[in-house]
Amino acid sequence: MLTSLLARTSGTLVCLGLLLVATVSSLVFGHIPVSLDMLAASLMDYDPGSLEHLVVRTERFSRTVTALIVGAGLATAGALMQTLTRNPLASPGILGINAGAMFFVVVGATLFSLTSPSELVWAAFTGAATAAFLVYFLGQQAGRGVSPVRTVLAGVAVTALFVSFAQGLLILNQDRFESILFWLAGSVSGRELEAILPLLPLFCLALLIALLLSRQLNLLGLDDDVIRGLGLRVGQVRLLIGLVVIVLAGTSVAIAGLIGFVGLIVPHIARGIFGTDHRWLLPLSAILGATLLLAADTVARLVIPPQEIPVGVMTALLGAPLFLHLARHVRAVS
Amino acid sequence: MLRYAGFILVATCLAWAPTASANNSATVVEHAFGKATIHGNPARVVSLYQGATDTAVALGIEPVGVVESWTEKPMYRYLRQDLQEVTYLGLETQPDLERIAWLAPDLIVGASNRHRTIYPLLDRIAPTVIPGNVYDFKALLELMAKATGRVARGKELLTQWQARVEDFRARIQRKLGDQWPQEVAILSFRADHARIYYAGFARSVLDELGFSAPATHRKEGWGIKLTSQESIPAMDAEAVFIFMDDDPAVLRTFDTWSSHPLWKNLQAVRQQDVYQVDPVTWNMGAGIIAANRMLDELYRHYNLEQPDLRECAQC
Repeated sequence: MLTSLLARTSGTLVCLGLLLVATVSSLVFGHIPVSLDMLAASLMDYDPGSLEHLVVRTERFSRTVTALIVGAGLATAGALMQTLTRNPLASPGILGINAGAMFFVVVGATLFSLTSPSELVWAAFTGAATAAFLVYFLGQQAGRGVSPVRTVLAGVAVTALFVSFAQGLLILNQDRFESILFWLAGSVSGRELEAILPLLPLFCLALLIALLLSRQLNLLGLDDDVIRGLGLRVGQVRLLIGLVVIVLAGTSVAIAGLIGFVGLIVPHIARGIFGTDHRWLLPLSAILGATLLLAADTVARLVIPPQEIPVGVMTALLGAPLFLHLARHVRAVS
Repeated sequence: MLRYAGFILVATCLAWAPTASANNSATVVEHAFGKATIHGNPARVVSLYQGATDTAVALGIEPVGVVESWTEKPMYRYLRQDLQEVTYLGLETQPDLERIAWLAPDLIVGASNRHRTIYPLLDRIAPTVIPGNVYDFKALLELMAKATGRVARGKELLTQWQARVEDFRARIQRKLGDQWPQEVAILSFRADHARIYYAGFARSVLDELGFSAPATHRKEGWGIKLTSQESIPAMDAEAVFIFMDDDPAVLRTFDTWSSHPLWKNLQAVRQQDVYQVDPVTWNMGAGIIAANRMLDELYRHYNLEQPDLRECAQC
């Protein structure tokens, strides 16, 4: 773990360097190879007649931006959730947000025939928020605030409920199932920036609030009575963080579908390198999350061209072994 | 109560059926999952997939029960007129077994990829035949013709088909000259992705007609799904056939993809050899009638004169 300011600063710079490499790779690699000169030219001096310029501008730029936003959003939301619930295994998927988004998208696609990406994005966002609120309030213990165990149990219950509803609907409407398959598996390709833009201001605001609350977040790990003794309004901070999580995770899921493990493993990697101080943990989670998703998406399109593996599959492939290791380790400690 | 009555009815029918036709000779039909012994000429046929429904109609049989179609529900328009009295048995992937038993069929036709696990149950309800390859509409026709005792009718349909195929090959060769055999791609658009078909019913018919496929499309498997418009160049061929559902989400996908500069750069698009074809005929019908209708469309697309070689009313 890096402890001194100098070490942490240089660590951050290395991470930013990795992010830059991942971003450039995402723009350069694919079915049609693009050289670095071409990339620079397509961004500075766009020529619509050139195939390479076209691919960068119409296709790769939007998916790179999408992967950046979603990766950063999921990882930050995961870090916040783990602190909020005092549960190192918390992530958007475990707390019902994915299942809520999935259920609303399925209802929208099967019962209301929603088809355009912008409509489905809002359906997913509403679903994510609904599920998260449900879990949050089911996780409250009378007079004692949020109970980590109750929250996780509530998350599991809400997930089971929404997933079973969604599966029932999909079995009845089998042909609709096909049309949302890629969303269900998670994907950042073919996302039009126009469908994402309306969600961005809210997303950036949430990210900013999270960073501003870093000091308060550091205290949340303590016992509730101690925190109150230090003069922090626990309930209000928790509610605010809860809202931030809903916006970050909800937006990410709405844009890219069910991408697992980024929200779970990236905060742990960041914590492993930079410690538990949220002033470092949050920004580094965002940087590393974006890097991981960009890398997973780039690999996903290089494995079996011209087809692509859904990026959700790629992140799960990277994440599953770490998850198992983590689960074993946590049990040993407690 | 109703179910109980149904059970008695089914049991009676099952007990009664063999004795009633015992005076007819039994036919043994070999199929993908074994042998079926069929007595007499089955009149109560149940079809559990689209190709079998199409083929039954071509053979002049109105099945007592069929599975629902994938689009144009409950049944494709081109078959609807001949299927006015049928009972619908749910989806191809999950047919209603109780209702099949209730219908007391004397022949069931299933598909190897769909009904492997329920085959033993089906076979206890009635003799069941399963063709080996769901795309081979000619083998299906022969199998069903034999199982229903309509071998002569089956042969007649195949001879007709063969004559049409030869006529088409001769005409298109004359028309395209040294451009023949033409390399064609089969594409489809869905709500959230595009597809290139390497195999399937349409491809097998096109192969029989003598069309060829781009080298990159001669691969194992049914085909591929594309999610990134960057891979549009993989669709290229001398001519392109596209089928898609008439659905707003699908049309939007097609609009987005077909307005992409890479699409406009495709050889087939530049030469305006892009044909939109009927998804039901090209991808879902999967029987001899669908094959004939596909051929009709090809005659039209290539502006070929069509001689009247057909006797099959539905074709």
